[in-house]
Amino acid sequence: MSIQFGKVCSLILREHFGEIVGKVGTDLYKWGQKPLMSVVSSTKLSVEKVRQSLCILVQYGLATFSAGRSDRIAEYSLLPEKVFSLLRYPRYLYLIKTKFGVEAEMLMEEFLKAGFGSASRIIIRAATRLKEKKELEDASTNFPLLRDKFVSLVNKQYLMRCPAPEKTEDGKPSLIPKLTVAENQLYLPPTLNIKALTILDEGNPADAGDEGVYWRINFDRFHQDFRDQIMVTAISRRIDENGGEIIRLLLQLMYIRTEAWAQISNPIPFTELRDTLRKQDPQSPILQHLDQYLKVIEEDSSGFITRVGDSGGGQYCINMRKSFEALAWNCVENIIVERFGSKAARIFRLVKDRKFIEQEKIQQIAMIPAREAKQLTYRLLQENFLQIQELRKSMAQNAGPNKSFFLFHVDLEEVARMVLDFSYKALYNATTRRELESEENRRLIEKKNKVDSIAANMRLQGAAQEQLDEIEEMMAPAEVELFTKVMNRVQKLSEAELHLEQTIFLMQLFLNYSTK
Amino acid sequence: MATRVKQEPVSPTSRDVSSPPPGVNHNSQIVEREQRILNLLQKSTKAISDKEILLEIPDLSPQDRATIINNLLQKGFLDVFKQGEKLVYKFKEPSCPSKIKGADNEEKIVYSIIEKAGNKGIWTRDLRVECNLDQTTLNKILKKLESEKVIKAVKSVAAARKKVYMLYSLEPDSSVTGGAWYNDQDFEAEFVDVLNQQCYRFLHQKKEAVKNCKDGPIVAQNMASASSKDVWKYISELGISKVQLAVQDIETILNTLVYDGKAERSVLADGSLMYRAVESLLPPPGIVRTPCGVCPILKQCSDIGSINPNNCVYMTEWLE
Ligand code: SF4
Repeated sequence: MSIQFGKVCSLILREHFGEIVGKVGTDLYKWGQKPLMSVVSSTKLSVEKVRQSLCILVQYGLATFSAGRSDRIAEYSLLPEKVFSLLRYPRYLYLIKTKFGVEAEMLMEEFLKAGFGSASRIIIRAATRLKEKKELEDASTNFPLLRDKFVSLVNKQYLMRCPAPEKTEDGKPSLIPKLTVAENQLYLPPTLNIKALTILDEGNPADAGDEGVYWRINFDRFHQDFRDQIMVTAISRRIDENGGEIIRLLLQLMYIRTEAWAQISNPIPFTELRDTLRKQDPQSPILQHLDQYLKVIEEDSSGFITRVGDSGGGQYCINMRKSFEALAWNCVENIIVERFGSKAARIFRLVKDRKFIEQEKIQQIAMIPAREAKQLTYRLLQENFLQIQELRKSMAQNAGPNKSFFLFHVDLEEVARMVLDFSYKALYNATTRRELESEENRRLIEKKNKVDSIAANMRLQGAAQEQLDEIEEMMAPAEVELFTKVMNRVQKLSEAELHLEQTIFLMQLFLNYSTK
Repeated sequence: MATRVKQEPVSPTSRDVSSPPPGVNHNSQIVEREQRILNLLQKSTKAISDKEILLEIPDLSPQDRATIINNLLQKGFLDVFKQGEKLVYKFKEPSCPSKIKGADNEEKIVYSIIEKAGNKGIWTRDLRVECNLDQTTLNKILKKLESEKVIKAVKSVAAARKKVYMLYSLEPDSSVTGGAWYNDQDFEAEFVDVLNQQCYRFLHQKKEAVKNCKDGPIVAQNMASASSKDVWKYISELGISKVQLAVQDIETILNTLVYDGKAERSVLADGSLMYRAVESLLPPPGIVRTPCGVCPILKQCSDIGSINPNNCVYMTEWLE
């Protein structure tokens, strides 16, 4: 793992949980696995603070613990990939909102805020917020709806049960609890007593029927959706909407028979695909040309699917590894276009196509003037997008320089790692700058918030318009203008961070698949 | 491959018997016919066979033909090849040392090296290494041969200021001149760019035209594809090119489109190449929409030091 990666991780942690957790996280990242006391000594923080920080990290699933060298002392380690999930919160929420509606989004938000929770607590909190939002009299009217949403989130595996401490033989809690959850319970929806929820909501004790069962977000499930979305969009761009729809269905069918993150799906028969499509929409215009579409997708250079057999009207596999290789190539090519121009990208693709190629050949085939071609090639080489290999014509030790020739080639994994690294850096820069922008104008932002909250309060108390205007005027026009400007900048930078996150997501996925 | 032509039908001795005694008349006729055949050979770019010679001079007897061919062979004017069962002849610039009359041995060596290099020419440095003469002598010889129009220097497109030498009468190979894309050693980048764009426009239009095609994706793809010949026709009709382009030239251009990621190439069963415009799989990635993603000094940038995100001008500009 690179230094850049570590820097971004600690920055993200600091942003979300404050200075201290950031420090503890960074320390864990640097050292891999270590026990509590050793974190204390290297961070120079108090035991209490470190303990709290570790607690937070574990709660949000950003760190784990297990018995270390001595089985009486737990050692903690950070899960840096999970830290990146913190960046994706807006995307998670958006996905849930579009798929399950606002109520589910509320539930999800509560989970993101708390890290984990019991179904009853989360539902009550979401209900309270819904009440405020919709200005309802009573929170309890939302309980049945929220419960249903909760159940469907579990059924669709966006939520999963937290592992619980294993019971030891003597019934006493062990020193270092082992957290486990039975496979069949992982996605088993809770049965909730709605009435008890109402009682709980009123502040009285009651048993909602889910004592001791906690839930958390299954981030992998979201990432699976993001991944699928990338593939569907890619085929929609390359072929057309119908092609995209077919990929979507194939992915759906893949889950029935294949582990979600497998490199290649098990074969999916044509007939099954056709029947699914027909069930979904008997009038679908795709039906008529389904076989043709499959052929076209299969023959496309992207290599998303492969035909593997003829039974059942043909069997098709989704090749995840190949798909993401094609997508990673494409992403890198696009980056080169933007950074070095389309001629450089032409050279890059040429080298990719020929595997190994000499400089002379590059300018000839790419049809770029020799001098320019040379400059671009060496620029790409310097920035590590191309690699060079020396080939000696003679084995003699003292063979002169013109006794060997140089071949260019691309090592995609190498390039992907480098792209990731500079994405981390860019992300780090954008976040740093965003913090600076708001830090520099902190007083202004605080003032604006204060004014806003006073105004809101007064409005609730039914103040006259004149009074409200007066409050508004506490902000000078120049201040208002500056405030909007600052907010725009912060907004722009946050958007940039989201964009970066997408590139990072794609590249990480490619590396995961190719190095599995 | 050059061989002497066997005088199959008639042996020299039998010729003496069967043909009329070689008179003055006959001799001058042979000289005249030899010239005609030589002209014929010079005019034709391809090798010619006995049949074509007979077409030119219908009453040429086989014996005379053999004599003439042998004469020409001896003078080094032609090469003989075997094509199937037939013999064919091809004109060749005579390497006759007579062209460099009075030449000394050194000149002859230089000449023969240059001759060997054919129409690809030979670079002065390689020439010097091969002939083993010192620079001044070599230069003198080259100058002399050049002024006598025996050899010529041709600028090569492989590198600026690189000159190659070849025999005066030769047409330089396209690897030396660069073919249609070079104008006197200068690569016509703009011309290539224009052609690249026009080819893309053509393919793109075809693709757009089938957007709402109802006959299935395969039909649509086939309709969107164009053979290199189609594109060649379109480009020729546009009249943007001063020089006559060959289909192969257009294929070269089309291949650059493939490497631009804007087109895909496929080969039909009959070997002809088909091209089709394609959309890239992904839109420009998020990273290039941020200033750091396209920053030229990203490598030098860090949070300590003078190049840092907090006082970065690129960022400030972008944020405005
Ligand atoms: S912060 Fe500025 S200098 Fe640094 S990488 Fe980004 S754009 Fe470049």
